[in-house]
Amino acid sequence: MSEPITQAADQPRAGVGRPAPALTFLALAIAALFAVPGGYVLWRTATAQVDHLGLLTSAATLDPLWRTVQLAVLVSTTAALLGTGLAWLTTRTDLPLKRFWRIVVPLPLVYPSFVGAAAFLSGLTPGGIVHDLAGAAGFDLNLRLHGLFGAWLVLTLFTYPYVYLPVAARLAALPRGLEENARLLGDRPRTVFRRIVFPQITSSVAAGALLVFLYTVSDFGAVHLMRFETLTQTIFRTRLFDQDRSFTLAFLLLALALLVIATERTVARRGARSAIISNQPALQVPLGRMKPLALTAISFVVGLALFAPAISLADWGLFGWLRDQNGTTALRMDWSDVIVPTWNTIWISLVAAAAAITAMLPIAYLLARHRSRTGDLVNTVVVAGFAIPGLVVALSLIFWTLHASPFEFLIGSLPVLVFAYVVHFGAQALRTSQVAVSTVPKQMDDAARLLGARKFRRFFTVDLPLMAPGLAAGGGLVMLSTMKELPATLLVAPIGFRTLAVEIWSTYEALYLPETALLALVLVGISALLTWLLVVRRASHLA
Amino acid sequence: MSQHGGLQDKAATPILLGMVNIRSVAPQDLAPAGLAVDDLSVDFDGRSVLQNVSLEVAPGEIVALLGPSGCGKTTLLRSMAGLERPFHGAITLGDRTLHGPKTFVAPERRRIGMVFQDSSLFPHLTVGQNVAYGLHHKDEKEARTREALALVGLSDLADRLPGTLSGGQQQRVAVARALAPEPRVLLLDEPFSSLDTTLRHSVRNEIHRLLVSLGITTVFVTHDQEEAFILGDRVAVLHEGKIAQVGTPAELYRQPVNRWLATFVGEANLLSVDEAPDDCTTEVGPVTVTTPIAGPAELVVRPEDLKISSGTGGTVEFVEYYGHDAMVQVLLTSGTSVRVRTHAEETFTRSDQVAVSYCGPGAIAFPVGLPNNDC
Repeated sequence: MSEPITQAADQPRAGVGRPAPALTFLALAIAALFAVPGGYVLWRTATAQVDHLGLLTSAATLDPLWRTVQLAVLVSTTAALLGTGLAWLTTRTDLPLKRFWRIVVPLPLVYPSFVGAAAFLSGLTPGGIVHDLAGAAGFDLNLRLHGLFGAWLVLTLFTYPYVYLPVAARLAALPRGLEENARLLGDRPRTVFRRIVFPQITSSVAAGALLVFLYTVSDFGAVHLMRFETLTQTIFRTRLFDQDRSFTLAFLLLALALLVIATERTVARRGARSAIISNQPALQVPLGRMKPLALTAISFVVGLALFAPAISLADWGLFGWLRDQNGTTALRMDWSDVIVPTWNTIWISLVAAAAAITAMLPIAYLLARHRSRTGDLVNTVVVAGFAIPGLVVALSLIFWTLHASPFEFLIGSLPVLVFAYVVHFGAQALRTSQVAVSTVPKQMDDAARLLGARKFRRFFTVDLPLMAPGLAAGGGLVMLSTMKELPATLLVAPIGFRTLAVEIWSTYEALYLPETALLALVLVGISALLTWLLVVRRASHLA
Repeated sequence: MSQHGGLQDKAATPILLGMVNIRSVAPQDLAPAGLAVDDLSVDFDGRSVLQNVSLEVAPGEIVALLGPSGCGKTTLLRSMAGLERPFHGAITLGDRTLHGPKTFVAPERRRIGMVFQDSSLFPHLTVGQNVAYGLHHKDEKEARTREALALVGLSDLADRLPGTLSGGQQQRVAVARALAPEPRVLLLDEPFSSLDTTLRHSVRNEIHRLLVSLGITTVFVTHDQEEAFILGDRVAVLHEGKIAQVGTPAELYRQPVNRWLATFVGEANLLSVDEAPDDCTTEVGPVTVTTPIAGPAELVVRPEDLKISSGTGGTVEFVEYYGHDAMVQVLLTSGTSVRVRTHAEETFTRSDQVAVSYCGPGAIAFPVGLPNNDC
């Protein structure tokens, strides 16, 4: 029984040894690339010929900033509550149909927020299903969704899974011995939750809420459709005629995101987590008389976040298709208008995923196998890349390629688009890659060495096959995010490069709602498939 | 462990007999080589882990590295394998320098086989593929894999994945994998400690037979004195990064070089005396001392060197019954507790009044209060 201690004492080397210089150099080089967009924003802000203080304190700055903070705080708070509540219901209670709920509750993740917003809005306009059904029932429904409320509703409904997934995984994995001991020491179930369970899940809740916060401040599509001008809107609007303002606001957005990350880190560092992962089924609370209420609540949320947008889109799509079939009004697209963007979306996100994994792997090795200051630095830069809103990444890459003379040929080219995706979403692959690297025991590598295998052979015959599932999961996350990404794609993609996100956006802006709906259904279908494969089935990886 | 695994573990042993000619391929290259460690020192981040360790392992010998946790035994083993880089000293295998002032042979070129504590089998490869991993010539691969698996009695498991095997089977595959490339030395790092007791004994027994019949030079690490004594031709005890003593199990048990070793290797009663002449008077009566000391000393008295008879002078505190014998702890009137090994038939019970006397071949004494006392 005392053996693990012996091992720890006898092998102080595990995870400490000095990294190879080549590895350090490679990781630093990658980090330097990741720092380009943020660095460019900083440089442009610093060198802008404007009165910074005046600009920062002007109403034109403070108003969108205030709206952004307001929305982000509201959305992350409600998403945290909703996500935690749903996680508790599906893991710790005797809720009926739990297996079903566990599958559908995280699925609203498949909607990009602008698609969700478009689905809600188009459902409520004349021709939309809600409006028409109400009309059939004799009401002239004139419901409009917009402003803070609209943005809050839509963003909350489509981001709560970011909280739900880690919290549910944590709740399910919490060793029941903790709670049983607390009960035996005299605590009532309610007290046990407050004193034992809650402290154990706070870091997961905080991590999830942080993601929601970052998602909200960098959201572009949903707030645009809801006519709620946050910083991203102002940056987008001013990018052509007032670059200095645009970059200063981008800097502000960046600072806001980094500030929140830093806060979350200091808070998370304080909590002590039980490292034990339990395989036993978690303790369950009987809902009793609350069961119907719980069922109603969970059905309402899932209905609104998952089924309502799907129905609204399907309704518009079907309407357009029928109209096309019976010859009233032809759809303004043919098969190629669906197939080309779909194909582009799939391959560009596959390339982005592969590039992200390739970039993250050396860093993951550095972080998982060695403890070094370089590793900490590289990690910070990459994570910061994730915090930089896609719009800011895009903005900075566009103007950088425009102004940096040797790189002009890159303007509006696919490598720049892939680079933008990798910088923005690479961090998502970093965490899973790190886990993947650390699942390969050092001992396994030692064993292969003693059997005569050189570095190259060890990597391809031992490390890579063992890491493959983890790397694929990380790549899948990047792919999923890339498909759903709008602002960077809109700004950076070469002219004429049509992806599903871009096509959905432009058809909606042109009010071709049936076309929007059909394209959106394709995107949501693909992303649902990926989500199912990567996120729902392996939710425990995200704890 | 599964039912199937249990059957496999039992069925293994007989196959060994016919398969001993593992070295038939190129005999002169494969004659067991001796391993010499000379004045080796290892540091981790400025903290000294091994200090000036020297050890010679004769060809075909089995040597155990025994020591408490953190003593550096695993580091010594890993240095032999080339997985750690000592900053000082030399390691030679036969007449080939593996490590020296200007030499460092990479682990993958040392021709040293190693078995780790936890199964380090590659989980994505079958048992057969695992064993074949270290084999490079296509034409010999299949035959050598079959041969090595037969050695450990697992021929019929070649197509299974490691995850489906019992712990004992996994360790045996690990041994087969290490042996397949015909290493000149085999290193074992606590190979049995992750197995439960019953399995540990049977796997240990089987590996012991295999090592003896192959005649391969073997160094293994253990924190379990019993295991070191059972498997080791000689045992090297490490303490705080230094070799405290090297010798046969009997030498270590009967002639420990210091007080710490006396208590670390086997059970020992330490009896304090004011002086230790040849014929010393102690709390348990007269004791013959083989290493007389003038002045305060402690005598090392093994539990089996004492005997109990009914009488006075002590009270039985408790009895540990082991079946083959029993251990009785007696509180002497002087206030000292001593442990006495008795025959299982001799029955004493708690609070019996007993007399304790010495019946051993002679005790060794260590002076009290000298700085070198504790190693």
